[in-house]
Amino acid sequence: MADALIDGKPASLEAAAARAAQILVEARLPLVAGLGADVAGTSAAILLAERLRGAYDHMRSDEIFTDLDVVRQAGAMVTTPSVARLRADVLVFIGDDLTEIWPELIDRLAPAEIPPFDLEKSARQLVWIAPPKGAAIEGVSIKRIETANIAVTLAALRARVAGKPVALAGEALEELDAVAAILNKARFGVFVWGPRRLDRLCVEMATGLIIDLNKTTRFTGLPLGTSDNAAGVTQTSGWSTGFPTRTSFGRGYPEHDTWRFDAVRLIESGEADAALWISAYSPSAPQWTREVPLIALVPKETSFAREPAVRIDIGRPGVDHDGADFSREVSALVAREATRRSDAPSTASFLKSIAEQIARNAGQSGEGA
Amino acid sequence: MLTLLKGGRVIDPYNGRDEIGDVWIEDGHIVAPPRGRQADATHDVAGKIVMAGAIDIHSHIAGGNVNTARLLLPELHRARAAPMLPLGTAKWSTYETGTIYAGMGFTTVVEPAVAPHQALQAHLELSDIPIIDKATLTILGNDDFLLSLLRDGESPAAVADYVAATLTATNSLGLKCINPGGAEAFKFNARTFGLDDVVPFYGLSSRQIMQALQQALVDLKVPHPLHLHTNNLGVPGNVGTAIATIEAARGMPLHLAHMQFYGYGSEGELGFSSAASTLAAAVNATPNVTIDIGQVMFGQTVTISSDVLRQFSATGSAKPKKSVIFDGDANGGGIVPYLYREGDFVNAIQWACGLELFLLITDANRIFFTTDHPNGAPFTTYPDIFALLMSRDKRAEVLSRVPQGAVALTSLPSITREYDFNDIAKMTRAAPAKLFGFKDRGQLGEGAIADVAVYSPGEDIAKMFRRAHLVFKDGDLVVRDGQISHYRWGKALKVRPEYDKAINKRLASYYEHHYGVSHNMFAVPEHILPRNNPFKEVACAL
Repeated sequence: MADALIDGKPASLEAAAARAAQILVEARLPLVAGLGADVAGTSAAILLAERLRGAYDHMRSDEIFTDLDVVRQAGAMVTTPSVARLRADVLVFIGDDLTEIWPELIDRLAPAEIPPFDLEKSARQLVWIAPPKGAAIEGVSIKRIETANIAVTLAALRARVAGKPVALAGEALEELDAVAAILNKARFGVFVWGPRRLDRLCVEMATGLIIDLNKTTRFTGLPLGTSDNAAGVTQTSGWSTGFPTRTSFGRGYPEHDTWRFDAVRLIESGEADAALWISAYSPSAPQWTREVPLIALVPKETSFAREPAVRIDIGRPGVDHDGADFSREVSALVAREATRRSDAPSTASFLKSIAEQIARNAGQSGEGA
Repeated sequence: MLTLLKGGRVIDPYNGRDEIGDVWIEDGHIVAPPRGRQADATHDVAGKIVMAGAIDIHSHIAGGNVNTARLLLPELHRARAAPMLPLGTAKWSTYETGTIYAGMGFTTVVEPAVAPHQALQAHLELSDIPIIDKATLTILGNDDFLLSLLRDGESPAAVADYVAATLTATNSLGLKCINPGGAEAFKFNARTFGLDDVVPFYGLSSRQIMQALQQALVDLKVPHPLHLHTNNLGVPGNVGTAIATIEAARGMPLHLAHMQFYGYGSEGELGFSSAASTLAAAVNATPNVTIDIGQVMFGQTVTISSDVLRQFSATGSAKPKKSVIFDGDANGGGIVPYLYREGDFVNAIQWACGLELFLLITDANRIFFTTDHPNGAPFTTYPDIFALLMSRDKRAEVLSRVPQGAVALTSLPSITREYDFNDIAKMTRAAPAKLFGFKDRGQLGEGAIADVAVYSPGEDIAKMFRRAHLVFKDGDLVVRDGQISHYRWGKALKVRPEYDKAINKRLASYYEHHYGVSHNMFAVPEHILPRNNPFKEVACAL
């Protein structure tokens, strides 16, 4: 089995690193994209982007910024799944894709169980706004609000929680008021949402509703986030450069802009002319259509429209090698021990080889940070 | 390699030294003047001041809440210059943090608020801070496991075992307690929480929680006493809480953090005044208590605190108008940006109150220099604060600009004291070493690690402290005239108290049962951190 492919032909890792270094150094604006990497891989990718004066982005940035853009515009009140599990007397699920995003959601939040840290020890109530068809949880009666427009429903609910009028009447108003009453009477309520079905407007409305409810009672949010270690990459990026993904070193220092440094836009516009694509957690390929020299660090089963210039069968953190990444189940970075240790290179180790190769070519030492 | 710093004014209060003299360095340590040997490198430091590297005892430089602040406020930290070293000018990054601290002659910094469940992230961030050594204090006091032990009347030994197991698992230097029980009470919708308020569900007061943790650390012989962020931070008239907390220490060691934020009376038309002289008198009279200041300086900052109840109540004064409130597994936290304004009555009193405490507390071994970075001000303001402490005229200049109604409610104008270099060295070197039980730093005695800062004294005190002339870390010359020449990677300092390991089994089953996850999920395995040998142990007393 080949460790690496150069133009589709078997090659050594050393040769692949050398070829990758050449492509990236020759580029006017190289892009580090995908960025499905653990903490060590992300650190190495950001340092490499800086050395190359390139930009970096994550394949799930649109979903990252559905939540993060609202946080930095309007703020947030959030919690962990453990707090929701142990304390929430009211759970409000929003969207039909929650268990798709996180299959363990119901198991983890245990809505059928009486919350052990609730003083009144009564059964939890579950409200589900825009639930999936036929949603049912054993031992839980779900209060459903069917809607095709989540933002409008949240806005109306927010108005009714505050006792303000809405342009609804009859059964629809009664239904909404019943839910508003549940929220106002909650002791510790938790909204749960994901960044796919909800857009920024929905997230901002949910956040506003949470903040309003905290005038009299306790409420908080549990955004489920997205995949490919997006949360871990955002954290690592935060302490490394001060900024999340969609950051560029074109001027030598980090600049962050969610439009300018969107990977797809950079490639399609021709601004970026080579890409290092990292996807250690899933067999994902880039979404752009324009052809640029591509170095791909991906699992074996990944398929591309056109063979990358350099391709590495990259190891998966926590499977092929140890690594640290974000755990949704505990809302924290955690250390993962390899479950099936292998020789597949880690993202960090291969990026280090590229950096060393670049340093060698430039006649410097590869040891930077 | 043998290095000689020749002919500087050596100020080393730990060893009672203040004289023109030499300092010798070999193999990363301070050595006695060697007989009959020539130095391999000699630095003529005549006219300069030579001190040990400074130790910052309380500065929020890493961990989930700090990182949330970074992500919340991209507009406050735009980078403007390309770096000499990787990410060195990426503002507010871990890389820049180490770069600026080292440039000022600080070589050890303690991050004082790490939630046990965030310990791995904190250590990953600390690993990416170049040059300096660092340490964490782990937060307990709002966690169900502890509160249940206390509610169920379990023995002090069980509490001590739990504290020790947590310090060990999180690789930390000591224990922090933040508004004991207050974060838990906030989850039950409490909006204020005082020393004798009771946490619902557990029937425990803040006082009981604090005293139990204080006792545990004494029993475990951890050098650093309980590091307490007490109740009612920032509330007008809270000097009463501060004094009650000092009394609640019952003669046992206790460190009270950022006391400026508790030095408030309720006099004057606005019901807000400085009560610093009352508080200073209480501290002076209580030898078992140490405090740090949490000095306020005027300008934009962001408050980062695990006192989630207090931070929630502050969200209305956020500037810019946005904040993050995190109901975490125990303490959680709140991130609230804030602008301290020179023309603001309350801010002016806060500024004066901190300086009054600095100047009125007389035992140099019990008062510590902090801004509670970034809560009172960013650590980049330290040089300006040194200048204020050393010059009555500098203080008068600022006093002339702030609202005079505020000035009238403080004692600052009447205080003539000026710090000298020895006072500065005590407060930032010798005393912190004693506070944490460091035998190897905060001093220039033989055998100490060669963390040395050399300053060029001049008219402009702030300039002198902002850009150290030379800084050595472990004997390695890393700074010349405030500029870092290269990165090296420091250690995280930690304690390893003795305890009965049976508690780990209890914790394992507790996590399985309550959280539905393995306790191992929160481990901080050394090999996951990016540098080799990331830790260094600080011995507990025998």
